[in-house]
Amino acid sequence: MNKTESPNIAIIGTGCTKFGELFSKSYDDLVRDAVTEALDDAKISIDLVDAAWLSTAFPEIGVFKGRSGMDLAEPLSLYDLPVTRVSNYCASGADAIRNGVNALMAHNCDVVLALGVEKLRDRPPQDSIVKMMVEYGHPYYQKGFTAAGTFAIYANRHFKEYGVTREDLAAVSVKNHYHGTLNPKAHHRRECTVDQVLSSPMVADPLTVYDSCPTTDGASCVILVRAEDVDPSKHVPIFVKGIGLSVSTGWDMPFFDPNHDFLSFRATQQAAERAYTQAGIADPLNEIDLAEVHDCFSIVELLTYEDLGFCKPGEAKEMIRGNSTARDGELPVNVSGGLLSCGHPVGATGVRMVTEIATHLRNRAGERQVEGAKVGLAQNIGGPGAIASVTILSNEV
Amino acid sequence: MTNILSYGISLPHFRVDSSTLNPSRGRKQEQRAVIFVDEDPITLAYDAANKCLANFAAAESGHKKIDAVLFATTTPVFQNRYHASFLAELLDIPNGILALDFTSSLRAGTDALILADQLLTTGKYERVLLLAADTYFPAIGEELAPSLRTGHAGCALLLSREDGFASIAASRSYSSFIAEDFVYKGSAVQPDARFGRDAGFKSSVKHALNDFLEHTSAEAADFDAVILNSIFARSGAGPFLKNGFNAEKQFFRDILAAQFGFSGACHALMLLIHSLEREAERVLLFDCGNGTNVIDIKRIRPASPALSRQLDKGETVTSYQDYLLLRQAGNVNLKSATKQDMFSSDMMLEREKKNLLQLQGFACTGCGTVYFLKTMRCKNCKCEKFDVRKLEKTGIVFSFTREHYFPSSFAPVTMVVVDLDGGGRVTLQLTDDMYASGTRENPIGARVQLVLRKMMEQDKKPNYFWKCRFY
Repeated sequence: MNKTESPNIAIIGTGCTKFGELFSKSYDDLVRDAVTEALDDAKISIDLVDAAWLSTAFPEIGVFKGRSGMDLAEPLSLYDLPVTRVSNYCASGADAIRNGVNALMAHNCDVVLALGVEKLRDRPPQDSIVKMMVEYGHPYYQKGFTAAGTFAIYANRHFKEYGVTREDLAAVSVKNHYHGTLNPKAHHRRECTVDQVLSSPMVADPLTVYDSCPTTDGASCVILVRAEDVDPSKHVPIFVKGIGLSVSTGWDMPFFDPNHDFLSFRATQQAAERAYTQAGIADPLNEIDLAEVHDCFSIVELLTYEDLGFCKPGEAKEMIRGNSTARDGELPVNVSGGLLSCGHPVGATGVRMVTEIATHLRNRAGERQVEGAKVGLAQNIGGPGAIASVTILSNEV
Repeated sequence: MTNILSYGISLPHFRVDSSTLNPSRGRKQEQRAVIFVDEDPITLAYDAANKCLANFAAAESGHKKIDAVLFATTTPVFQNRYHASFLAELLDIPNGILALDFTSSLRAGTDALILADQLLTTGKYERVLLLAADTYFPAIGEELAPSLRTGHAGCALLLSREDGFASIAASRSYSSFIAEDFVYKGSAVQPDARFGRDAGFKSSVKHALNDFLEHTSAEAADFDAVILNSIFARSGAGPFLKNGFNAEKQFFRDILAAQFGFSGACHALMLLIHSLEREAERVLLFDCGNGTNVIDIKRIRPASPALSRQLDKGETVTSYQDYLLLRQAGNVNLKSATKQDMFSSDMMLEREKKNLLQLQGFACTGCGTVYFLKTMRCKNCKCEKFDVRKLEKTGIVFSFTREHYFPSSFAPVTMVVVDLDGGGRVTLQLTDDMYASGTRENPIGARVQLVLRKMMEQDKKPNYFWKCRFY
């Protein structure tokens, strides 16, 4: 096994809670709900799980749950096995899966549970991420930013360099909100118009409320085994064909780096290169049937088309203008509704994306099903564009 | 002989009309300078000092030779720390200098000037940097009381025995038992106004003038400008007339108080600078308050009009409500004026002060790329060797956003990515942007300058860092 080799790992069970403001559900409830669904799907007993990874990005701004693996073990009464908490900002969930994949490939364990969960709405929405930007971290660098602002400065460069418009960004939001109406587990299930996006309150110029994902609770879980351990009589396996993760800058560096053009995320490019190599993908636009990409803010989805090689730099606006990434387009993107509709329980999002792709590849996505999908991609960006994960899934070995 | 080598003036961006402060009593043509929410005597003094050192031709080597920093204010920020020491650190003046504060009196500015003269005259000190700044806010509704016509300002003087544009011929201080007003056990004490004026001010000026003329070779006819800096100045002409001064020809009119207000501990210095800019050849300065300081100054050559140039600048505050916002007073219960406690750390400041406060960056020896943040390897060429490089305080906006949800008195907070002249990139807040005129619809490509300001409004410790403004 080496870093260019495709991992021979199968997802045999997926679980995902409803995403939203789940005031009646605790952190522990969310863990139990997602795990129960995944184990039922995999048709295995929890006692077969012999290693687990927990992804929660911000325990300190939630309910102080998720600081270590024990916060996964306790609600499940799942003891006497290794459980590790993974934290990599918005790429945490994907990294929990990546760690599980690596452990299976190393024959360090046989059945892996990877779960992402975030409970943000035990606090008022602006008490969460905004509070973190205000109160934590270096007291001088970047003070004045919220998460929206750190991406808004990319949007303003895209306007300047590539002629992207406010309407192009709004089109991403309109598309994903429409997709969200088809997903019963999405946080927001209401269509919106370009005018509504443009006229909603400004968050960080040029991004409005509709350009921004909501603050959401949720959990998502996958059960992983080596491909040779799949039981065809019980399982409908989805295979991890490539998985890449890259940290390509830091928390402060992007805003103080004179080399940075604020047009792309090198982390996505690097993670994609690794995942594409493993999966043997040379022409992503034609070889991938659907993608879940990190649309925490509309601009991020747009520039990610370029970073993933779906189009050339500066051409993402043509993809959105031509509806190429709508559900019935050339390469459907964020058919789940994306983060804009599903919401963004940070640690859970990466796992949710993988379960969403798996659902389509198993032809179980109901009215939003992308017909005949065989290969799918999930991508996350974490921190200020610093960390990215790309996972390639297929329903064929 | 003590000479003034250069000086710098710092006036805040905003002015408020007297008529805004009090529509029934205020005179429209009078203005007060008022600090923005992120300014204080430290930031004003720092700004003035920077300008002063930049105005001095040999600035680069100049500040290294400064061996005393004196700071005067009646509105101190710290209780148990010398502002002068803190400012010396900000200005990258080497440790081990004499740093002293002068507070408690409106004549603190000239107290510092007299001490500077003494220090230099002894020959034991080379260069003295004198800083003064005042940001007094009268009680709400009392802004136009005659004794409280206060405006905010800072100034800096670089003094030495080297050649300067003006020199101090003589300086003396005359203490007095009577203070015009003072604070006792936490409460303001206002003695009988006429007692303060007649027994205090008049008597002290008379004594000071007579003694000064007796003990120096100066005569009334030598001076073409007499500055009498006091809230009672109008009542102080008597002793001068008796000694042969000509009020009409010699008394220097204070037009600054109407332009930016009475600037407390730095006002006498401001008037002195103004008289020199107005080409007075020899100035007799009386600075009164709990006694009198007398200073005799000769102009050697013309002074740069740094003060005059700034007088007609600034932006006018359009309402009393905005003025209250600026002084962070009143029941400001607006969504756009939320505040939040923020973390600040003396330990971090001490550890990172060269970088944070003195803008010390790192230039890659391989490809020349300049970084503000310390990096192990150049992102551009992977070279591991860097030279320390002081970054410029001007640059061009590369990208921006306006943050509508970051807690601030004046949302949105505009964040700008700035490519500094000479290399290096920083991302900072825009400041002085209470009104739209302080910002731009799309500032990409606009020129900005960095200014030192208080970073956070609800800080627990002083949190000075860089913001920027268009220029």
